[in-house]
Amino acid sequence: MNRTQRFGYGVASIATLLAIWYAGGITYPEVLPGLPETVDSLVTVLTTPGPYDHMFYFHVWKTIEMLFASLIVSMILGTLLGIALGRSETLESTISTWIYAWLAIPSLVIVFISAIWIGFNASSGFFAVPVVITPFVALNMWEGARNLDSDLAEMAEFFGADRVQMFTDIIVPQLAPFLFASFRSALSIGWKITLLVEAFLLTRGVGFMFRRYFDQYDLPTMMSWLIIFVVFLIVVEYGVLAPLHERVMRWRPDAEGVRVTE
Amino acid sequence: MMMAAEERSVSSETTGETLELRDIVKHYPRPGQGRIQVLDEVDLDVESGAFVSLLGPSGCGKTTLMNVISGLVEPTEGTMRRGGRDVTPNDLSLGYIFQEPRLLDWKTVAGNIEFALEARDVPESEWDERVTRYLEMVNLDTEGDNYPTRLSGGMKQRVAIARALAIEPEIILMDEPFSSLDEITARDLRQELLDIWQREQKTILFVTHDINEAVFLSDYLYMMNSNGKMFARRNIGIDRPRQYDDPEIAQREAELYREFHEHVVE
Repeated sequence: MNRTQRFGYGVASIATLLAIWYAGGITYPEVLPGLPETVDSLVTVLTTPGPYDHMFYFHVWKTIEMLFASLIVSMILGTLLGIALGRSETLESTISTWIYAWLAIPSLVIVFISAIWIGFNASSGFFAVPVVITPFVALNMWEGARNLDSDLAEMAEFFGADRVQMFTDIIVPQLAPFLFASFRSALSIGWKITLLVEAFLLTRGVGFMFRRYFDQYDLPTMMSWLIIFVVFLIVVEYGVLAPLHERVMRWRPDAEGVRVTE
Repeated sequence: MMMAAEERSVSSETTGETLELRDIVKHYPRPGQGRIQVLDEVDLDVESGAFVSLLGPSGCGKTTLMNVISGLVEPTEGTMRRGGRDVTPNDLSLGYIFQEPRLLDWKTVAGNIEFALEARDVPESEWDERVTRYLEMVNLDTEGDNYPTRLSGGMKQRVAIARALAIEPEIILMDEPFSSLDEITARDLRQELLDIWQREQKTILFVTHDINEAVFLSDYLYMMNSNGKMFARRNIGIDRPRQYDDPEIAQREAELYREFHEHVVE
């Protein structure tokens, strides 16, 4: 499929969704807020200050701040932990069970416990979100570290590569796909946990807005906030992650670009 | 261990002398069952400028012996000597071509060669010239900017050969480099290898389990059995250039096969 076709299908799928939404809003108004009402609330949310006199971008920024601060912490900790697990058999047999136990703790429980330990403030969020997403990153990177090619390491050792070369030219490129996969899953899980924290514990951020308009039974405004944040996540994926991924993985043979000679 | 090759330099006094391996023993501990003997008092002479093959069945320790010479594996016992003095792998100027190309898929063909040059501390000002020269030597001068994932198996192995040549070693270790290629590609590469070997005056130690390949390529060969024991050294004694369909090669191959069979299958 070429670029134009792909774009065409993308536009068609969005148009179809909007059409179904419009029809659904008329048929079941109590389930689905109407498309026109939602557009109205979206305009209101985007143009007028909300609770505590904050514009929408204040809340979006607060959510992004918590989400990305947590992502940075989790990516670092999870990567270190995952690589350690993948490289050391002792460590693997000692703590791998705990990773699975950690993954099994419901995120809601982690959020509640953080609130009891730390209090009803943002610090709880900055603690709870990394705690929830770090094991997902660790699991991914563990898999990546386990699959490092020892033949390549031996080749590099023979030619006399130093630690820096070994790391940047041999190890990082092999882990790159796993870093991307980790980041994507951490992003999608992390944003849900951030909303949970904001809805239960805080008085700012996108999660708080959901809670507030849920209390008021205002479905169109909840929809507006959902749209704002989903659009943001799509921009992150297509504007940052996908192009970066493509750049880093340029060497991969793709269906169209393969040119096998001889 | 990771730095094994860092300080590698050629000690010029011993260049040109025969590399002599004496009584090389290597065994690995096997939990609860004593140990596995991989190399059993192996003696091997690599004469300067010669094409030497090491013939043995799969899993007989040929690769381990190569790794002992290259410094990737520490022998349990034994010495390497050259010109009457003991040498370590660091004293030798070596290139290594593995069974698999072992290229970095995320670097271009030229980038892969530069990786080796950087690892060997070759000044960056020489890189371009070396990359061009050695890619031309393996007939890949137009593929420098291409990625290895887009090359065929034979071309990848050519890149690996160029990479080994680019560090300008005196002795090249080759571990069954053509065994995973189809026979037509392998024959072309063998011929090209002989051309390069003669023109560049390299010494080659070539591991194989293919008697025909060993006879076609070598000046002399060593035969090893599955217990890691070297049991014979034989000269090939056929004039070069050799032809694949030369009856002399077939005859020599048959003789060596008989001898090999007697020792290996017991």
